[in-house]
Order: sequence, then structure tokens, then C-alpha cells
Amino acid sequence: MRKKEIDLVLSLDKKLSTSLNCLLPLTALVLFFRKSYMEKDQKKLWENILASLETEISRANFLTLFRNTSIISLDQDSITIAAQSSMIIDLIQKRFLDTLTKTIAQHVGHPVQILFIPKIVSTVQPEDDDSPLFAQEIIRTKLPIGHLPRVRPDFTFQNIAVSSSNQLAFVSATTVAKNPGSSYNPLFIYGPTGVGKTHLMQAIANEVYSQDPNRKIIYTTSEEFTNEVVEAIRSNQTQNMKKRFRNAALLIIDDVQFLAGKDKVQEELFHTFNILMDHGAQIVLSSDRPPHEIKKLEARLSSRFSGGLTVDVEEPDFELKTAILLIKAKKFGVDLPINVAKIIAESVTDTRTLEGVLLRVITEASSMEGEITEQIATRALNGKKPEQNHFHADDIIKSVCEYYDVKPTQIKGPKRDASLVRARQIIMYLLKTELKLPLVEIGNALGGRDHTTIMYGVEKMGKLVLTDERLHEEIMGITKTVRG
Amino acid sequence: MKVSFLSESIQKRLSLLNHAVSAKSQLPVLLNFLIETSDGKLKISATDLEIGIEIYIPTTIEEEGGITVPAKVFTELINSLPVGKITLQTEGGSLKVISSRSESIFQTISQEDFPKLYQQKGDKIAEISVKDLHDEFLKVVFAASLDIARPALTGVLMKKEETGFLLVATDGYRLSLKHYKAESVSNLENGASFLIPSRLIKEVIGLKGEDGPVILYTAKESNQVVFEQKDVLIVGRLIEAEFPSYERILPEDFATRVIFDRGEFQSAVKTSAIFARETANIIKVSAQKDKLVLSANTPSVGSNSVEIEVKQSGEENEIAFNARYVLDMLSIITENEMVFEMTGPLNPGVFKIASDPSYLHIIMPIRIQTEK
Repeated sequence: MRKKEIDLVLSLDKKLSTSLNCLLPLTALVLFFRKSYMEKDQKKLWENILASLETEISRANFLTLFRNTSIISLDQDSITIAAQSSMIIDLIQKRFLDTLTKTIAQHVGHPVQILFIPKIVSTVQPEDDDSPLFAQEIIRTKLPIGHLPRVRPDFTFQNIAVSSSNQLAFVSATTVAKNPGSSYNPLFIYGPTGVGKTHLMQAIANEVYSQDPNRKIIYTTSEEFTNEVVEAIRSNQTQNMKKRFRNAALLIIDDVQFLAGKDKVQEELFHTFNILMDHGAQIVLSSDRPPHEIKKLEARLSSRFSGGLTVDVEEPDFELKTAILLIKAKKFGVDLPINVAKIIAESVTDTRTLEGVLLRVITEASSMEGEITEQIATRALNGKKPEQNHFHADDIIKSVCEYYDVKPTQIKGPKRDASLVRARQIIMYLLKTELKLPLVEIGNALGGRDHTTIMYGVEKMGKLVLTDERLHEEIMGITKTVRG
Repeated sequence: MKVSFLSESIQKRLSLLNHAVSAKSQLPVLLNFLIETSDGKLKISATDLEIGIEIYIPTTIEEEGGITVPAKVFTELINSLPVGKITLQTEGGSLKVISSRSESIFQTISQEDFPKLYQQKGDKIAEISVKDLHDEFLKVVFAASLDIARPALTGVLMKKEETGFLLVATDGYRLSLKHYKAESVSNLENGASFLIPSRLIKEVIGLKGEDGPVILYTAKESNQVVFEQKDVLIVGRLIEAEFPSYERILPEDFATRVIFDRGEFQSAVKTSAIFARETANIIKVSAQKDKLVLSANTPSVGSNSVEIEVKQSGEENEIAFNARYVLDMLSIITENEMVFEMTGPLNPGVFKIASDPSYLHIIMPIRIQTEK
């Protein structure tokens, strides 16, 4: 850079300041001292010089020739001045070089050589472009609409309610969004329906997009992925499809459990997966169960899915549901009293239904032109009874017994072998959490055990399930089979 | 100085020179032409210090010399003279213009006061035929900005490519891009680029075709650019500013594609724009199955909608434009079959020429509130 500048000044020196003595070596030497003058001081100095000049020469000449000049550099022996065109420089040199030399000498304190550069030094700051065409990124960041196909722009990290049930997933998702490709790769999120997996994944997409809209982000569901693969094979355009997926910087596939049994699609995904991982692209997947529980999923794929971080999202607890209701109500622009939110949260389990009920409450309230009251909420909820469980305590006992290969009679019996105790406590836990049975009833179902025993068992499992990954997966697996 | 020439060799050419004379100039010498003998020809120059133009005229020189005369009056006088020989002769501080039946005397200013337009022409960069200027440069230059507060946008970017130059101009609301296949290019490195003032290019486009190709020179160290055609020379200054990174706004993909007839579309836009005059020229373009519907409304006047048949593929979509930008673009393109591509109402719309993949024009849409 410095070398270049010197060259530039030197060549100009030759060409333009013909009337001046050739001081090439000196100029180069002197350039090294140049920075000793503060830029600001130089600017001030030039302003003063111009002010003096203005009194010396005619107004027309001053305005035409000097108004848009500026100082580029000043050092011990030379001053470099920028003027808008070489024609202006020519006129200055022809007519005012003496005046200028004298004025500059007065201000600097000693005679200096004057060099000119034809250059526009812009006083305004136009280069940070705010014109619409180039400000698109800004618009995009604010409203990442449309550009991410199939991603809802309102699904962001800002409006996710976080509680213990989804905290781990939330933290890992934000980490991945911050450093795609370099933290957890792949990120595998699993959990039952309506717990916010899609919201998390789309929030990752939106976040990455807002950081850099130029990154290629693909959000798709496994069904769409399948369709695309099939369509590409059918129309003989697999190359295009491959290119599309394999150039992604972030690939998000929702509901990968539906890939089960689709061998060709799995193969395609397997290769895409490998290439993307090689390129350092981030992959995020979701499913309703952990990778190894997805049936008919090729082992090589399943092992790759579990190669990064596998996190689960649990059913929202009461507090989280209340928080979700309040957030959603705010989104609809409705002021939802907290007690009403609690009533709804108590009687609804999954989040999708939550939104439905909330909407019903809001419409009902607005049709009566009143505020949202507990009565309205209860009435709306009556239209929708708390969900009936389609299964019975015996189903759970049966499933758990099958899962651990023990007999129901053993469970109900008095024996306290370690394996039996574990299965028994899992049953207690499930009966409590899934069926919400009273402790006493659970005790009866398990061969007339005391309710304190049940309480202990439920509590123990409740704690264990948060820390013991294996247990958690087992329980998830069991509930799956119970629910069919 | 004493020279003589034929009136028809100069009459029509002075108007071009006047483009470089600024009526607003505060320096009297800049309102003048410099008339001087040079290499056996008569050279007439004009400059407003931003651009400069020189023309050379075949002359019989009896005495070398030079002088400056007021441009406007000199032009008027010369154009009023009958066909025949004109003689210019300096006499002390004045210039005599003698024709077969008239003799006029001008007050002058010394040629010493007139700025030199350039030192050297610089390096030869390209040779451009006037046809190419019309066909290629014209399609780009109109998109440049006139706002001098943002120097980079007032220029046309010329970037060396394998087969010629990439030309880009934008004013921040629209952008024109053309891959120009140059026939004769110097051995510039690929990727080397210059930002040439659009004003200069507009002047060059005005040059006549029969006078052969235009040669482009640049001198990087003095930021100078020269266009030369036979005996005309137009000088300016390269813009020294960062051109916005246009690459990143070129859409890679589209959701809707429409093939339309330029003439039909142009008349539809004109019709629609009548109802958009008081609403900032906003017209809505809605791409539907096999048709484009253009609409506009001004609450105090009324509204209209115009339909044209097109070939549409992809999603149905809607976008709003400033009609002026659309018409600017349509009026410059001569090809009939055009293509319009868009992604969504907030993303730039792309216009292309069906038969010419080297060109594209991007217009930023206007965001409109949908009334519902």
C-alpha cells in the first residue's frame, strides 16, 4: 500500500509538477515522516490555507478551482493536494502556483513542494450504501420472509418459551445457530409431537439466515426430501438435486422417522450427509424418537444421526404451557389474564391443542365484546374435554413387563429383585405422569402397595429420568408402544 | 493564427463541443472554445473541468497559433454562415471570422488561460464499435445515478472478462448488467475494472457510426479516461470510489417466470401508470396463470387494471414497481421477447431479454400495504 502510494506520487510528480524541481529521492524519504502530522490537523491546516487563498484570488477562481480540493498528505518538504480533475490541476498550476506556494509556506512555516493528484475526495460518506437495492440485507434481516422457503419467519429463538423440559434442546440449538457446523454436528432433536421441535429448528434457520443471508440454507421435511429424490429420479435430474442439497451450508430435515423403509432415499441422504459433513456444513434433524429407535433405518445412517448431539424435548410442564399461552396471546395482541392461562394450561396437554383452545377463548371473548374471563375459558374448555387417555393402567403394566421381560404377577408380587423394583417404579412413574392416577389407586394396581411407596418410586424415577439418558429412552420407548 | 476551412466541415460538430461548456461556469475562459492549430489541423476544445471534448477539423494553415472565443456566440455565428470558406485570423487580442459575405470580430481570452485537457491519452484498453455502444452500453448506462453525492453510483463499471467486459450500472434502485463481447481488447488482466462516469459514456454513445470505432484509453495514475473516434476526443476522469458489490444482489433463483412481449407490456405499463401519477408512479404487477395483470390506483382519481397475455411458469406472484423505472428499461430495449423473473413481493424483479442471456436488469420493488 505504502509502496503503491509512493509510486503514485512519484509518477505524478514527474508528470504534473513540471514547474517544480525534481525531488524524487527526497519525496520518497519524506513520505516516511508523513504520518507525524495528524490527519485532523492537516485538514484544519488546509481549511486555513483555503481561507487565506479566498482573500487573495477572485471568487470565481476560488469556487471553480479550489472549493473541492482537499489535502492528502503533508510532511516536512511536500504537500499533496487532491483536485477533482487534471484540468483543474492544470489551471491551478498555470495561474495560481505562486500564490498557492506562498500561502502554504506562510501556514506551514517554510516552503514546501506542492504535488497534485486528480481525485475526488468525497466529503459525504456515501459508500455504506443505504439505497434499497443494496440495503436488501437489512430488510432481509428484519423480515426474513420468503427467502427461506417453508420456514416461518416468526419462529425465532426470541419467542420460544424455555423451561426445564426443553432447556437442553434450546441451548444446543442456539449454540448451533451461533456457530453452524462447528459445535454439535449433526444436532438431532427428538421428542413427542407438539413440543416445539419444528420451532427450534426453524429458529436455527432464521438465526443463521439473519447472520448471513447469503448462506445456503435448506429447510425441508423428510417427506419433501423424499418427494424431491423421487421426482429427481423420475425426471432424470438427480444431478441438480444432488447439487442443491450438497451445496447447503445448513441442512435441516424435519421428521426423519418417516424415512423409515425408504431405501433409495436413505442412500441419497447418506451420501449427502457425508459430503455436507466433509464440507463442514451444519446438519439438524428431528424425529419423534431417538435415532436407534427408528425402525427400518439403515444402521450406517442411524449411527451417523447419533454422531453429534442427540437432545430431546419433553412434553411441556404446566409452567411452560402457561408461558406459551401468554406468549401466543401476546402475538395475537390479546391481554390474557394469568389465571385464565393457568386454567387452560391445566387441562390441555399438548401445545398445538393449546393454541386451538386459546384461539377459541379469544374468539368467544371477542364475540361477547368482553374481557377474557375464567368463565369464558372454562366454557371454551368444556367444548373440549380434557383429553381422554385411550389406554388403561393395565396397558402400561403390560408394556413395561414386555419391555423388561418380566411377568405382571411378579410386578404385583412382593419380590424386591433389583430388576423388578426398577420395572415397578417405572410403572408407578408412568401411571402417575401419563394417566395422572392418584397414588392410592396406583398402589392398588400394583398389588396393594402403600401410597408412600408409590410416592417414593414416582419421585425417584422423576429425578432419574432427567439425568439418566438410558432410562429416559426406555421410558420414551415404552410410552410409544403404549400409545401405539 | 490564420486558418481557413469549409463551413460544412465544422457546422454540425460544434453542438457536441457545447456539451462540455457549462453555462454555470464562473470562470469566463470555461465559457470559451479553445481554437488552435495542431499537427496540420484545427483543434477546437471545450471543457467544464469535469469532462473535456476536442474535435479536429481539416484546415489550411497559414499561420500557427491559438486563441479562445465565447463558445455560444461562436457556434451561433458559424451555424448561420452559408456554405463556403471560412477564415479565422487573430488580430491583437481579437479574432476575425471572415466568410464570403461577412466579417465578425470576437473578444478573446488568451489560450494560456485554458486548461490542458490531458497530458497523454494513456493505455489503449479497447476498441468499441458505435453499434456496440448503442446495443450494449446504452442498455446499461441509463441505470446509473445522477446524484453526485454518491460518486460510485454515477459511473458505469467496466470489468475485464475473458471475452470482453462486464458492464454494470446502478442507482441503488435498479441495476443493469451486460456481458459485452469486445472485438478488440488490450491484454488487460481479467478482473481489472474501471468506473467510468455515465455522463461520459452518454456523450460517447452520441457519436456517429460512420466515423469508425471508438478507442478507449485510460491512464490509471492520473485517473484519466479518453474516448477517441477519428477526429473527436472525449476526456474525463475515472471515478475513484468503491462500486457496490452488485454480485450479491443478483438473484440466483426465482419463484415465478413470465415471458412477455415488450411492446404489449410497455403499452400496458403506460396505460396503468396514468392512474399512478399521484401515487409515486406505483403500479402493481400480478403474475397469474398465463397473464400479467397491471393495476394502479389513485384514491382521488380512480383505478385501472390492464391485462396482457404471457407465458407464466412457477408460482403466482405479485410485485409493485415504480412505473418510471420499468418504462426507462422498456424504452431502451429493442428486442421483442422478454422474460421477467421474481421471487417475492419484496425481492428485486429481474428483467431479461429472451434471446440475450448476457443482459439483465434488476428493479427494486416498492413495498405496498395490501389493503384488507
